[in-house]
Amino acid sequence: MVEVDARGLSCPLPIMRAKQAIESNPSELRVLVDSGTAKASVTHMLSDEGYEVTVSDGPDGFTIEATRS
Amino acid sequence: MAKHRLIGPSAWVIGAAGLVIGVGAAWLVSMGNPGNMGLCIACFSRDIAGFFFGANANMGGVAYIRPEIIGLLGGALGASLLTREFRPRGGSSTLLRFVLGFIFMVSSLIFLGCTVRAWLRLGGGDLNALYGVAGIVVGVTIGAVMLRKGYNPGRARKLNVAIGWTGPIIAGILLVLALLWVSGTSFSAFTVTPEKAKLFPGVAVVQGENVLRPEGASIVDGAVVAADGEELVAAEKLAAAKPAPGGLRAPFLVSILAGLALGVVAQRSRFCSVGGIRDVVLVRRFDLLFGVIGLLIGATIANMLFGQYNLGFVGQPVAHTDALGNFAPMVVAGLAAIMLGGCPFRQIVMSGEGDADATMAVVGMIAGAGFAHWQGLASSPTGLAANAWLALGVMAVVLVAILFIKRERIA
Repeated sequence: MVEVDARGLSCPLPIMRAKQAIESNPSELRVLVDSGTAKASVTHMLSDEGYEVTVSDGPDGFTIEATRS
Repeated sequence: MAKHRLIGPSAWVIGAAGLVIGVGAAWLVSMGNPGNMGLCIACFSRDIAGFFFGANANMGGVAYIRPEIIGLLGGALGASLLTREFRPRGGSSTLLRFVLGFIFMVSSLIFLGCTVRAWLRLGGGDLNALYGVAGIVVGVTIGAVMLRKGYNPGRARKLNVAIGWTGPIIAGILLVLALLWVSGTSFSAFTVTPEKAKLFPGVAVVQGENVLRPEGASIVDGAVVAADGEELVAAEKLAAAKPAPGGLRAPFLVSILAGLALGVVAQRSRFCSVGGIRDVVLVRRFDLLFGVIGLLIGATIANMLFGQYNLGFVGQPVAHTDALGNFAPMVVAGLAAIMLGGCPFRQIVMSGEGDADATMAVVGMIAGAGFAHWQGLASSPTGLAANAWLALGVMAVVLVAILFIKRERIA
């Protein structure tokens, strides 16, 4: 499991960090973000890259879980 | 290895949002907003600054609290509250964001439009905007390179709920003032009044039957006549004069409802006028680019349908024809927008989502607008102001300094 903490980062750093994290082609990835914009951009990028993505909502932001076989 | 999609569903959603924004902006022009200025964050922030500081900043002609701005922020607030995306946050180089917003605005007023209006001008057939768009591409690319080299304004933190509401509260206060103003209350403390109008040689500012400037002048048989009886503006000339941008406006209710609707669309779609180019350069993602392409298509078609399309360089509404003077300020503005993490349109939307840093950027934008007019840095349709190039140079140096200060080492 690769984890990226992108909370509090301005655009486009969350998507840059997430993109960097999938360069090693992990089968599981977790990205933490805290803005709707970062949530959307990272989610869209990961699903376009072929990941199954689920998002959960917590008090400190959103947790994006991505998996692919 | 799973499949890789170059263009996913998000591209079509953002493209559709851009289309709606482009059509909405063209419609606002048909409803009375200035040409190719259905929606311009720079121009409208300037008009709001003019409302407050107009009397002291030579901007009597551009004094109006633009309801579109209030609507945009309100729409984004509503949409983010409903989707649990309203998250009070801030503390990522907050004061620098004031500076970046300020620089964005001054350079936009040298171009004559923000990064949104650059695309809208192109959608109205204003070919001068091609130089502006080229400037955006260059500025954004410089910003993208610096992001790759480690530019990072720092992490924002979760903040007290009250701080997240700063932007919406400011918008609420503006709404109250705007409602009072449209219902006939005059604010002698803020805006230009005959008593406060400063002498501005060669130019008369007329509002209805009142001559605001020069002081003591009045309208006699349709001509502007000075206190000593000298005719300053002939009757035919005054009749043919066009109202200043702040004097051209869509009806209040139309503006605010359009703003609200576009605010919802922008918050849900994450439309950004600079992020598309940035993402292509930086992460090879095309979905945000569909937003500006959609806006361009929507504005072009709607402007043609409304009979507002005018292809060419000369005689374009609120625009000058200085090619370099269109290109260079958009390089500075595009870079400043990337350093802010999004264009001014997005700063308004994020301010509505509880982002205090974005609110600071918006405050910086309004301050920059006031400063640009006070110091006579804003361009006019006849061209750049005397000190515009000096200002652009200083602002570029400040941006480069911030880029180096806010650079973190990348392993």
